[in-house]
Amino acid sequence: MESFYHKLKEYLDRGETVAVATITDVKGSVPREVGAKMIIHPLGRHYGTVGGGCGEADVIRAALDVIQTGEPTTVRVDLTEDPTMQATGVCGGIFHVFVERWQPDDLH
Amino acid sequence: MADALLEALIASVEAKRAVALVTVTAAPDPRAVGRHALVWLDQEPLGELGLGDLEAQVLADARAVLSGRTHKRLSYATPQGPVTVFVEVQQRPPELIIVGAGHIAVPLAQIGKLCGFTVTVLDDRPQYANRERFPQADEVLATPLRETMRRWVAENRLDRDSYVVLVTRGHQHDIECLLEILDHPVAYIGMIGSQRRVRTVFDLLSAEMGIPPEKFDRVYAPIGIDIGAHTPAEIAVCIMAEIINVMRGGPARSISDDRRETARRRRERAAAAAAR
Repeated sequence: MESFYHKLKEYLDRGETVAVATITDVKGSVPREVGAKMIIHPLGRHYGTVGGGCGEADVIRAALDVIQTGEPTTVRVDLTEDPTMQATGVCGGIFHVFVERWQPDDLH
Repeated sequence: MADALLEALIASVEAKRAVALVTVTAAPDPRAVGRHALVWLDQEPLGELGLGDLEAQVLADARAVLSGRTHKRLSYATPQGPVTVFVEVQQRPPELIIVGAGHIAVPLAQIGKLCGFTVTVLDDRPQYANRERFPQADEVLATPLRETMRRWVAENRLDRDSYVVLVTRGHQHDIECLLEILDHPVAYIGMIGSQRRVRTVFDLLSAEMGIPPEKFDRVYAPIGIDIGAHTPAEIAVCIMAEIINVMRGGPARSISDDRRETARRRRERAAAAAAR
């Protein structure tokens, strides 16, 4: 069975530095569960999802910074906007995503 | 370090050993944030979180989270400021065991794989239980039903991550297999059959074999959740929906809830009558 970590190792074995995003807690209705994970690749070859949409776009933006700086961060995604036709985050909940850099060992 | 940790994590996942990845997500010392450790139930932890006096406590708590089998964020107040860690539990994949390789088994094996289950198909007819018919299954066995079930129980092949679906070609085979695992601590036993048929069969088994009727309460028969399914593929969806509902502790009602509740009321009435 191929796990998320097999996938992560594939990136590192190819010498690629990536960011890993993990949903660490949720309140209310959100698109994915605690523990959902995603690999963010600097050139867009991502893997997995932390819920899609604008929230995920925020996470990807933060992750690209994390890949540069190496400093982990926590992204707070707020989906509690009032439901209108234009609103993008209306699931009703809030979740936190921890974003960290993983890089091949020889780059340390 | 990252590589050594990742290698150890992957090795445990492949060996289907329970392991948890602990990540520091907030700490007064920024150097600790993003550090990892692995904990097991039966082995010393690997890695260092850089949390000083709190380290041993966090690792012990992470191990407790691992035995509880659900990811969890842990928070601590220290004199220097708050510390949070995320404990990510790598569970063994749940196992779907489909007994009977007929029309429902084919889509059920596919859906089971989609949902991340290890899938085993068993039938005593090699023309049904074969690789061509079940290319996605992890294991396809063409061996006698009852003997195989008995061997699995004897060899501890089944456990609390096993979900067993009894959909053989005939009800007598379903029942034979059911009796082999009725007392076994598997996560789920589902058996196909109509309300009327299931009720009759369980009553007969209680009367003729002296099996206490409450023992049948754990059996999901008729199988599945009522979504008005007609075709084999739709029935497979309704079975898998029930399995997910049981696994995740969801709120959906099973078709078998009616039977279970009626049987319970009947027993209570009988007990009340006996007490009078």
